[in-house]
Amino acid sequence: MNAPQRLLGAAAATLADHSRLLGPLPGVDGAGILRAAAESSLTGRGGAAFSTGRKLASVAAASDPVVVGNGAEGEPASSKDRRLLATAPHLVLDGLQLAARAVGSRTAYLYAPADLLRTRLEPALRERRDDVPVTTVASPGAFLSGEESAVVQAVQGGRAVPTSTPPRVFERGVHGRATLVQNVETLAHLALLTRFGAAWFRGVGTSAEPGTRLLTVSGAVAAPDVLEVAGGTLLADALALAGGPTEPLGAVLVGGYHGAWVPAEAVADIALSRDGLAPYGAAPGAGVVLALADSSCGLRAGADVAAYLAGQGARQCGPCRNGLPALAGTLRALADGRPSPLLVAEVQRVSRLVEHRGACHHPDGTVRLVRSTLRTFSAEVAHHLAGRCTARHGALVVPSETEEAIA
Amino acid sequence: MSADALWYFGRGTGVSALTLFTLVVVLGLLVRSGWSSPALPRFVVSAVHRTTSLTALGLLAVHVVTLLLDPYAQLRLVDLVVPFLGAYRPFWQGLGTLALDLVVLLVLSSLLRDRLGRRTWRALHWAAYLCWPAALVHAVGNGTDGTSTWMLALVGGCVAAVGGALTLRLRAARTSETETQSVPAPVPPAYLAGLR
Repeated sequence: MNAPQRLLGAAAATLADHSRLLGPLPGVDGAGILRAAAESSLTGRGGAAFSTGRKLASVAAASDPVVVGNGAEGEPASSKDRRLLATAPHLVLDGLQLAARAVGSRTAYLYAPADLLRTRLEPALRERRDDVPVTTVASPGAFLSGEESAVVQAVQGGRAVPTSTPPRVFERGVHGRATLVQNVETLAHLALLTRFGAAWFRGVGTSAEPGTRLLTVSGAVAAPDVLEVAGGTLLADALALAGGPTEPLGAVLVGGYHGAWVPAEAVADIALSRDGLAPYGAAPGAGVVLALADSSCGLRAGADVAAYLAGQGARQCGPCRNGLPALAGTLRALADGRPSPLLVAEVQRVSRLVEHRGACHHPDGTVRLVRSTLRTFSAEVAHHLAGRCTARHGALVVPSETEEAIA
Repeated sequence: MSADALWYFGRGTGVSALTLFTLVVVLGLLVRSGWSSPALPRFVVSAVHRTTSLTALGLLAVHVVTLLLDPYAQLRLVDLVVPFLGAYRPFWQGLGTLALDLVVLLVLSSLLRDRLGRRTWRALHWAAYLCWPAALVHAVGNGTDGTSTWMLALVGGCVAAVGGALTLRLRAARTSETETQSVPAPVPPAYLAGLR
């Protein structure tokens, strides 16, 4: 079950080490990169899993486009982009250059946390003689700061919050130009598959989920870590690679805070693929795998995540400003054991009210998490309505708002 | 507080604005040169370029308004817009008016950047290279302290800073070093060995 460590095995601190390990940046032209990306079936690794080949082709059709490497990683339970940028900066920068070449762009940005820009990425950029100059932009680290329209806002010098869509950024993005916003892991894969070919890329994983992907496995596992696994790996195998569960699990949160829970009894047979996770309303997303011990209260964990998400809203439109705090507050009341069946109905009512009404997907993602919590932990909900909680201790650690403000 | 306050305030903010605009020009040149250092990363340089320009704008506004209100300076409203009509040293004062017009152009074009398009905005931003020398010469030729030792030292420092940044900018002409290579390339043995 050990997959080739294509990304994590490409660690190189200097450009010389990087070139020695992987060879120089390939001289293939833009059309060649577009073809390789399409044949590889690579999908975006920021969460939305959109076809990279199709996105590149769409932006390549526009005149004077912009490319942005997105390393913002607002997901609190994810640290794979940070790991990749810290260990293999030149692989990501290669991918950014190749993406710019593929779409015919002369303007490239790298959007990443300030500390990584200062310590890893700008030193790496100083070593390189790139065709397309790269402008660095610091990402603020808030949950929504990596959403593609928020990325465009930040690159333009504004506040990193989403804007309403359409137009999508690949139609009208940075200063009105068609913009390719691509996650840094996606760019690293692009750098490798352009070098070694689409067939090589597809040599690992399943036909529906080719290649490898990075996961951040955390929670009740012995060795929480960033891991590289083959596409379509079983959820249980991913947990085993992180040392295995430290105690019996109740459920696993998959995809991210906008993701969904997979109940423990399903973990053994479920693949980390779109098809495998679809019955639970989940998707591999940004590669988040968060194990929740059976001794923890899933309802409280869900309420914690919902409260975090409500606090991270952009507060630009009604569902975010009023709806999500109301939703999180009601779930909190339920989790804290106020025994009223009306609370469940209220959660469902507010969920319906905020759904599909936000300018961005934040309300929808939060509703998905809340509904998954009620569904997965329905037994726990019944206990809480009877004034009991079966959990022995509190739930998973969710960054509090104060920590977020300090960081 | 006397009427002199306006006069001193106007002169002081003029000198401060010149210093800050020098910093704006230096940072702008550094952004375009791609220069960075661990102590001053690129994303910091461009963020400070933007915020300093707005701070300098505030000082410039105070400089202009106080001297307009000050009876001694004898400025009329038209002198804020049309250069070289002033009562006192019209040429040197006119350079200040010219610099002000160009600053307004720079700020407005930057605010309207998305509407103008990149090429138009960049063309208009070249006005900065005219604006800063106009302001500098205005300070020396028109300023009450224009030729005092400390002012000349400050001006010398400003010129040196912009000159240094300009050198970096001109040296930054990039060369392409992409090597041609057959694609797909064989996976290098060292990397292949580390894959498992």
